[in-house]
Amino acid sequence: MVITFSLGLFLGITLVVMRHFDVGVPNIAFIFPVFLAGSGGIISITCFKKDKGAVTSDERDKMIEKNANLAGFGAVYFYIILMSLLPIAILGEKASIPVTWCPSLLIGAGFCQVFAQSIAILIQYGWGGKDGQR
Amino acid sequence: MDNDKLRNRVRRLRFENGEMTQQDLADLVGVTRQTILAIEAGNYSPSLTLAFKIAKAFKVPLEHVFQYE
Repeated sequence: MVITFSLGLFLGITLVVMRHFDVGVPNIAFIFPVFLAGSGGIISITCFKKDKGAVTSDERDKMIEKNANLAGFGAVYFYIILMSLLPIAILGEKASIPVTWCPSLLIGAGFCQVFAQSIAILIQYGWGGKDGQR
Repeated sequence: MDNDKLRNRVRRLRFENGEMTQQDLADLVGVTRQTILAIEAGNYSPSLTLAFKIAKAFKVPLEHVFQYE
Protein backbone atom coordinates (compact mmCIF):
# COMPACT_ATOMS: atom_id res chain seq x y z
CA MET A 1 0.00 0.00 0.00
CA VAL A 2 2.86 2.35 0.86
CA ILE A 3 4.49 1.58 -2.49
CA THR A 4 1.20 2.16 -4.31
CA PHE A 5 0.58 5.51 -2.64
CA SER A 6 4.20 6.56 -3.12
CA LEU A 7 4.07 5.65 -6.78
CA GLY A 8 0.80 7.52 -7.25
CA LEU A 9 2.13 10.58 -5.43
CA PHE A 10 5.40 10.52 -7.33
CA LEU A 11 3.69 10.17 -10.71
CA GLY A 12 1.24 12.92 -9.73
CA ILE A 13 4.10 15.29 -8.92
CA THR A 14 5.80 14.31 -12.18
CA LEU A 15 2.58 15.08 -14.07
CA VAL A 16 2.27 18.51 -12.47
CA VAL A 17 5.91 19.33 -13.22
CA MET A 18 5.62 18.06 -16.81
CA ARG A 19 2.44 20.06 -17.39
CA HIS A 20 3.99 23.15 -15.89
CA PHE A 21 6.93 23.01 -18.28
CA ASP A 22 4.78 21.76 -21.17
CA VAL A 23 7.25 19.19 -22.45
CA GLY A 24 4.79 17.81 -25.00
CA VAL A 25 4.21 14.40 -23.46
CA PRO A 26 0.52 13.41 -23.66
CA ASN A 27 -1.28 13.59 -20.32
CA ILE A 28 -2.57 10.05 -20.67
CA ALA A 29 1.00 8.78 -20.34
CA PHE A 30 0.93 10.02 -16.73
CA ILE A 31 -2.74 9.78 -15.86
CA PHE A 32 -2.90 6.09 -16.75
CA PRO A 33 -0.15 4.99 -14.31
CA VAL A 34 -1.73 7.15 -11.59
CA PHE A 35 -5.10 5.55 -12.31
CA LEU A 36 -3.47 2.10 -12.34
CA ALA A 37 -1.68 2.73 -9.03
CA GLY A 38 -4.87 4.08 -7.42
CA SER A 39 -6.96 1.16 -8.68
CA GLY A 40 -4.33 -1.29 -7.48
CA GLY A 41 -4.41 0.28 -4.03
CA ILE A 42 -8.21 0.11 -3.78
CA ILE A 43 -8.30 -3.48 -5.09
CA SER A 44 -5.58 -4.59 -2.67
CA ILE A 45 -7.40 -2.98 0.27
CA THR A 46 -10.77 -4.53 -0.60
CA CYS A 47 -9.76 -7.94 -1.98
CA PHE A 48 -6.65 -8.86 -0.05
CA LYS A 49 -7.64 -8.09 3.51
CA LYS A 50 -5.20 -9.77 5.82
CA ASP A 51 -6.00 -11.45 9.09
CA LYS A 52 -5.70 -8.73 11.73
CA GLY A 53 -4.19 -11.15 14.22
CA ALA A 54 -1.43 -12.28 11.88
CA VAL A 55 2.00 -10.71 12.18
CA THR A 56 2.82 -9.03 8.90
CA SER A 57 6.00 -7.19 9.87
CA ASP A 58 8.46 -7.41 12.71
CA GLU A 59 11.82 -6.10 13.88
CA ARG A 60 13.67 -7.61 10.91
CA ASP A 61 11.34 -5.92 8.44
CA LYS A 62 11.82 -2.63 10.28
CA MET A 63 15.59 -3.07 10.13
CA ILE A 64 15.45 -3.83 6.40
CA GLU A 65 13.23 -0.80 5.82
CA LYS A 66 15.58 1.40 7.84
CA ASN A 67 18.63 0.18 5.90
CA ALA A 68 16.78 0.61 2.60
CA ASN A 69 15.86 4.19 3.51
CA LEU A 70 19.47 4.84 4.36
CA ALA A 71 20.58 3.35 1.04
CA GLY A 72 18.02 5.52 -0.78
CA PHE A 73 19.21 8.63 1.02
CA GLY A 74 22.84 7.78 0.27
CA ALA A 75 22.06 7.20 -3.39
CA VAL A 76 20.22 10.53 -3.68
CA TYR A 77 23.05 12.33 -1.90
CA PHE A 78 25.57 10.83 -4.31
CA TYR A 79 23.28 11.58 -7.29
CA ILE A 80 22.85 15.25 -6.31
CA ILE A 81 26.62 15.70 -5.92
CA LEU A 82 27.23 14.00 -9.26
CA MET A 83 24.52 15.92 -11.11
CA SER A 84 25.68 19.22 -9.62
CA LEU A 85 29.28 18.72 -10.66
CA LEU A 86 28.78 17.00 -14.03
CA PRO A 87 27.64 20.12 -15.95
CA ILE A 88 30.79 21.95 -14.83
CA ALA A 89 32.97 18.98 -15.71
CA ILE A 90 31.38 18.47 -19.14
CA LEU A 91 30.40 21.98 -20.24
CA GLY A 92 32.96 24.02 -18.38
CA GLU A 93 32.68 26.90 -15.91
CA LYS A 94 31.58 29.53 -18.44
CA ALA A 95 28.68 27.50 -19.88
CA SER A 96 25.02 27.90 -18.97
CA ILE A 97 22.33 25.28 -18.45
CA PRO A 98 18.54 25.62 -18.86
CA VAL A 99 16.51 26.23 -15.71
CA THR A 100 14.54 23.03 -16.38
CA TRP A 101 17.68 21.26 -15.16
CA CYS A 102 16.53 21.77 -11.57
CA PRO A 103 13.10 20.01 -11.77
CA SER A 104 14.71 17.32 -13.92
CA LEU A 105 17.25 16.86 -11.17
CA LEU A 106 14.44 16.54 -8.66
CA ILE A 107 12.59 13.92 -10.71
CA GLY A 108 15.84 12.04 -11.28
CA ALA A 109 16.52 12.12 -7.55
CA GLY A 110 13.09 10.61 -6.93
CA PHE A 111 13.75 7.77 -9.35
CA CYS A 112 17.21 7.28 -7.90
CA GLN A 113 15.81 7.06 -4.36
CA VAL A 114 13.09 4.55 -5.31
CA PHE A 115 15.54 2.46 -7.33
CA ALA A 116 18.21 2.35 -4.60
CA GLN A 117 15.60 1.60 -1.94
CA SER A 118 14.10 -1.24 -3.99
CA ILE A 119 17.50 -2.78 -4.72
CA ALA A 120 18.45 -2.54 -1.03
CA ILE A 121 15.21 -4.27 -0.01
CA LEU A 122 15.69 -7.01 -2.60
CA ILE A 123 19.28 -7.62 -1.56
CA GLN A 124 18.43 -7.80 2.14
CA TYR A 125 15.47 -10.13 1.72
CA GLY A 126 17.50 -12.11 -0.83
CA TRP A 127 20.03 -13.03 1.84
CA GLY A 128 17.63 -15.68 3.00
CA GLY A 129 17.75 -17.43 -0.37
CA LYS A 130 14.65 -18.46 -2.30
CA ASP A 131 11.74 -17.65 0.04
CA GLY A 132 14.29 -17.93 2.78
CA GLN A 133 14.90 -21.60 2.02
CA ARG A 134 18.47 -22.76 1.86
CA MET B 1 25.57 -7.65 11.50
CA ASP B 2 28.15 -10.19 12.58
CA ASN B 3 26.58 -13.64 12.34
CA ASP B 4 29.83 -15.56 12.18
CA LYS B 5 30.07 -16.17 15.89
CA LEU B 6 26.43 -16.38 16.92
CA ARG B 7 25.16 -19.92 16.79
CA ASN B 8 21.64 -21.03 17.60
CA ARG B 9 19.77 -24.25 18.27
CA VAL B 10 16.35 -23.00 17.25
CA ARG B 11 15.79 -25.66 14.60
CA ARG B 12 16.78 -28.50 16.92
CA LEU B 13 14.67 -27.09 19.76
CA ARG B 14 11.66 -26.83 17.49
CA PHE B 15 11.86 -30.51 16.69
CA GLU B 16 12.47 -31.39 20.32
CA ASN B 17 9.32 -29.47 21.23
CA GLY B 18 6.78 -31.62 19.43
CA GLU B 19 8.05 -30.88 15.92
CA MET B 20 6.92 -27.31 16.19
CA THR B 21 6.71 -25.57 12.82
CA GLN B 22 8.41 -22.29 12.05
CA GLN B 23 4.99 -20.67 11.81
CA ASP B 24 4.04 -21.98 15.27
CA LEU B 25 7.17 -20.51 16.79
CA ALA B 26 6.71 -17.28 14.86
CA ASP B 27 3.17 -16.95 16.21
CA LEU B 28 4.38 -17.67 19.74
CA VAL B 29 7.04 -14.96 19.70
CA GLY B 30 5.17 -12.49 17.49
CA VAL B 31 7.32 -12.36 14.38
CA THR B 32 6.99 -13.55 10.79
CA ARG B 33 7.96 -17.04 9.69
CA GLN B 34 10.65 -15.52 7.48
CA THR B 35 12.36 -14.05 10.52
CA ILE B 36 12.49 -17.42 12.26
CA LEU B 37 13.89 -18.88 9.07
CA ALA B 38 16.52 -16.15 8.82
CA ILE B 39 17.52 -16.72 12.46
CA GLU B 40 17.83 -20.47 11.95
CA ALA B 41 19.92 -19.95 8.83
CA GLY B 42 22.17 -17.54 10.74
CA ASN B 43 21.29 -14.68 8.40
CA TYR B 44 19.76 -12.53 11.09
CA SER B 45 20.75 -11.86 14.69
CA PRO B 46 17.59 -11.25 16.72
CA SER B 47 17.20 -8.46 19.22
CA LEU B 48 17.70 -9.30 22.88
CA THR B 49 13.94 -9.10 23.44
CA LEU B 50 13.21 -11.55 20.64
CA ALA B 51 15.99 -13.86 21.78
CA PHE B 52 14.44 -13.98 25.27
CA LYS B 53 10.99 -14.58 23.78
CA ILE B 54 12.31 -17.53 21.76
CA ALA B 55 14.04 -18.99 24.82
CA LYS B 56 10.84 -18.52 26.81
CA ALA B 57 8.82 -20.26 24.09
CA PHE B 58 11.09 -23.30 24.43
CA LYS B 59 11.16 -22.96 28.25
CA VAL B 60 14.96 -23.00 28.31
CA PRO B 61 17.60 -20.45 29.33
CA LEU B 62 18.75 -17.99 26.69
CA GLU B 63 22.24 -19.47 26.46
CA HIS B 64 20.71 -22.82 25.64
CA VAL B 65 19.27 -21.33 22.43
CA PHE B 66 21.97 -18.87 21.42
CA GLN B 67 25.67 -19.34 21.85
CA TYR B 68 28.34 -16.77 21.18
CA GLU B 69 31.51 -18.50 20.03
